[in-house]
Amino acid sequence: MNTSNTSENPHTLPVPLHIDRSWLDQLNNRLEKGGPWGDWGLAQLAIRGEEARLVTSFDELQCLKHLQGLSPLPHQLDTTRKVLFEMSGRAILADEVGLGKTIEAGMILKEYMIRGLVSKVLILVPASLVLQWVRELNSKFGIPAIAQKKAYTWHSDIVVASIDTAKRDPHKDFLLSQEYDMLIIDEAHKLKNKKTTNYQFIQKLRKKYCLLLTATPVQNDMTELFNLITLLKPGQLGRQGDFATNFVVGKRQPKNQEQLKDELAKVMIRNRRGEGPVQFTKRHVTNVSLQLSPEEQALYDGVTAFVKDEYRASGGNLSSMLSLVTLQREVCSSRDAVFLTLVNLSKKIPDESPLTAKVWELVNAIRAIKANTKAEKTIELIRQMNEKVIVFTEYRATQEYLLQYFQKHGLICVPYRGGMNRGKKDWMMDLFRGRAQVMIATEAGGEGINLQFCHHMINFDLPWNPMRVEQRIGRVHRLGQQNDVKIYNLSTSGTIEEHILHLLHEKINMFEMVIGGLDVILERFEKQESLEKRLVKMFLESDSNEEIRQKVNSLGQTLDQIKQQVDYESETMKEEEA
Amino acid sequence: MSMSPQEVREHMMTYLESTECQIIEKSPYHVTVKLSPQADRQLTGRPYYWGFVDRTGAEPETLSFTFVFDPERYDQHEQEKTAAARQQDHLLSRYYGTAPLLPQLGPGRIQREDVTYGSARLQQIWNAARQEGFCLYLFEQPPSLQRETLFSAPYEPWLGVCFKAEMACDMKKEELHFIGISLVSGQIASPFPDRLKGLTLSPRLPENVHIQPATLSLDAAAGLLESYLTGKLAEMDYGWAEQAKERLKEELAVIDIYYEDLLKEPDEEKLAAIREQFASRRSETTWQYEPKVHLSAITCGLFHLRSKG
Repeated sequence: MNTSNTSENPHTLPVPLHIDRSWLDQLNNRLEKGGPWGDWGLAQLAIRGEEARLVTSFDELQCLKHLQGLSPLPHQLDTTRKVLFEMSGRAILADEVGLGKTIEAGMILKEYMIRGLVSKVLILVPASLVLQWVRELNSKFGIPAIAQKKAYTWHSDIVVASIDTAKRDPHKDFLLSQEYDMLIIDEAHKLKNKKTTNYQFIQKLRKKYCLLLTATPVQNDMTELFNLITLLKPGQLGRQGDFATNFVVGKRQPKNQEQLKDELAKVMIRNRRGEGPVQFTKRHVTNVSLQLSPEEQALYDGVTAFVKDEYRASGGNLSSMLSLVTLQREVCSSRDAVFLTLVNLSKKIPDESPLTAKVWELVNAIRAIKANTKAEKTIELIRQMNEKVIVFTEYRATQEYLLQYFQKHGLICVPYRGGMNRGKKDWMMDLFRGRAQVMIATEAGGEGINLQFCHHMINFDLPWNPMRVEQRIGRVHRLGQQNDVKIYNLSTSGTIEEHILHLLHEKINMFEMVIGGLDVILERFEKQESLEKRLVKMFLESDSNEEIRQKVNSLGQTLDQIKQQVDYESETMKEEEA
Repeated sequence: MSMSPQEVREHMMTYLESTECQIIEKSPYHVTVKLSPQADRQLTGRPYYWGFVDRTGAEPETLSFTFVFDPERYDQHEQEKTAAARQQDHLLSRYYGTAPLLPQLGPGRIQREDVTYGSARLQQIWNAARQEGFCLYLFEQPPSLQRETLFSAPYEPWLGVCFKAEMACDMKKEELHFIGISLVSGQIASPFPDRLKGLTLSPRLPENVHIQPATLSLDAAAGLLESYLTGKLAEMDYGWAEQAKERLKEELAVIDIYYEDLLKEPDEEKLAAIREQFASRRSETTWQYEPKVHLSAITCGLFHLRSKG
C-alpha cells in the first residue's frame, strides 16, 4: 500500500492522516496499458453501496439494521450500547445465566465489524461450546466464524477455539505473535487465578477490544474479581494493595461499596433475572411417589445387599466400585439397565468366583419382573397431559426400553442422546417439534437442545448430580418459554431415590430455585469431594433407612447454609449495583 | 441507513444486468438468474472450478440462484401459485394419481437465497462492483446533432475520484467525497456528481470531438485533489479526536499508576517480564484510542466532458 503522511500539504489536521494512494498507481498503470477499464454502472453501484453502509455517526448502533430475524431484548441492547460507547470495547459481561450473554457479545462484535474497526477476532471458549458458538455467530449474526481444527485454521479472520488448545504449543507461539482486534472469552471466571498458565497466556495476547463473559464473576473471594479486571484493564481498581485496603473486608465482603460499585460499573455489566422486562415463567414441581411391585422390590433389595457386601469386602474403597455404584443407581431406573450392567459384570469375573452365583441370582430376580411400575405411571401422566413431553433418563438401556414400550402403546416418540451426530440431533429435534409427542433424552448438557416449545418434563430417574438436574430443566425453562414449566419427578418409595429427591427438592429446593446460584454453591460445597461421591458413601455406609435420612438432612443443612451465604453476598452485590 | 426490499432489488438488478447475467424470471419480490461467467467468478467462490475451466478450456457451467428480496410476500405468492397448479392437475391426477412435488436436486437445482440489507450477498455485490468499476475511462455522449455539425466539439479531461474518509479512534465515523479536477484548467468540481448530472457517459469515443491537451499531469492533479480534500477535512469539528485523546491520556495514567509499584521489583528476571507487560499494555491502549484519519479511493477515473463555454 502506498501510504504517506502529508507533510508537504499546507493544511494540517490535528490528527495523523494516512492517505492510501494505490488508486493513482492503478490508474497510471492502466493508462499505460490502455485498459482494462471499469464499468460506469458498477462504479456507481459501488458508490451507492458505500453510501448505504456508511457509518455516518460515532454513536448510533448500526448492527440492528444488519440483523434480520434477531430481536434482541432491551437489556441486551443497553449492554451493547454501553460496551461500545461508554466502555470503549473492553468489558466483563456478567449477566446471570440465561439472559443471553452470547447474544450481547455477538451484537458487539457485529457492530465493530460493520464499523470496520474489527476484522481479526479470536474467541476462546470451553471445548464443548466451540461448535455452538460457531453456529450462533454464523446463523444469528452472519459472522463467518470458523472452529479451530487444524493449525492452518488459525489464519482465518474469525476463529473459535478452546482455550486449552490455544495455550498449548505449537499454537501458543503463533497466537502470541498475532494482533487481535477483538478477543472474546466465554466462561471467563476460570481465569480467576493469576498464577495459572491460562491467565498468563491471555494476559500476553495482543488485543484491542476484549470481552470477558461469565455468569459468576465472584465465586470464592474478591481477589478473583480483581484478577479478572486486571486482565481487562490493569489499574482500574487501583494497585493490588490499594484494592485490598480500599475495598475488601473479609474474603467475600466488600467495603466502600459505593465507590467499588462506581469502579465496577466502568468495566462490568451485570443484568439480573427478574429485573426489567425479562420475566421467566414459573416452575411447577410434582413429585410422584410410586410403590414398587413385589418383584421389583425383590430386585432392589437384592442389588442393594449385593453392592453393600462388595463395598464392605473392598474395605470402603470407592474407586474400585464404579460399576457397582452404577448398578445401585440403575436399579431405580429399569430392569433393562440393571441387566446390561450385570451381564458386563459377569464377563469380567472369573467363572469359579462365588460372585457368579450372586450375579445369576440377580438375573433371575430380573426375569421375575413382568412390568415396570415407573413406565406405566409415565404413560398415564403423558396421556393426561396430552401435550409435548420430554422424558429424561440417565441410561441408554432405559431409553431403549421406553422407546419400545411407548411405541407399543401408540405414542410417537423420538430418542435423543449425546452420541448422535449433529445432523441426527437436529433431525430428532425437528421430529419432536413436528409429529412426535414424546422425546426421550439421555443427555441434557452439551449444546443445542432448546425446547422452548415444550413445557412438560418428566424425570424418569434422577441424576445424583444437581448440576445435571439443572441442565435438564434448563433445556425447557429458558428465554422464550411462554408457559409455566411443569416438572414431574418419579421416585420409588423406600429406595435411595426417595432420599435424593428429598435432598434436592426439600432441602435445597433446587427445582424452583433461580438458576445460576447453583454452580457457585456446588463449587464451594465440593471443595473436598463431589456431592455425588458423598451420597454414594453415605448410602453404602448406612445400615438403616433412618440413618440415611439423618445424614441426608445434615447434608441438606450444609448446602442450605452455603446457599444463604451466597444469597447474602449476591444481595450485597445487588445493593452496590442498585 | 437501511434499505427497503425494493432498493435492495434495484442494487442487485443493476449488478446482474451490468454483468450480463441471464434473467430467467423476475417479480417485485424475487429474481431467478443464471449467472454470467464474470458474475460467477465474483460471487460463487469457486476458484478451483474456474482454474479448471481456464486451463482446460471446458465450456463453463455457471450457477443459478433465486434471490428473494421480500421473503414473506414471495412465499405467499409461491403458495398461491402451487395451489393453483394443484387444482389444474386435479383432472389428470384422477387418472394417473397425484405425484408429490419433489424438490429438484443435482446440477439443475436453483438455490434460493434471501437477500436483505444486512446479508453477506449484498456486501459481496458491492465489493465486486467496487472491484470491477474501479478505474474508469469515460466520454460524455453528445446529443445526436453533434455528428452533423461542422465543427468538432472540444472535450475537457477530468480526473474524478470518490474518496472515503474514515475518522477512527475507539469509535468510528465515515464520509464520502466524490471530487473532480479538470486537467486543463485545474478547476475543482465538488461534489463532482453535480457536474456529471444529466450526462450520458460511455467508454466509446464520440465522433467529431477533440480532446483538449492537458496542462496538468495526473500526479499533479491528484496532489491538488488531495490538498483540496485535506483542506476540507481540516475544517471538520475535531471534538471527537480531542475526547479520544483525553480518554487515551486517562487510560494511560491508570496503567502507569498500576505498574508504578510493580516496576520496583528487585528480581531482574521478573522485572523484565513486568516491563514487557507494561509496554505492551500501553501500546495496546494507544492502538485502541488514538484518533486518526484514513483516506482511500472507492473509484477513480478519467472523465472526458464537453467543455463549457
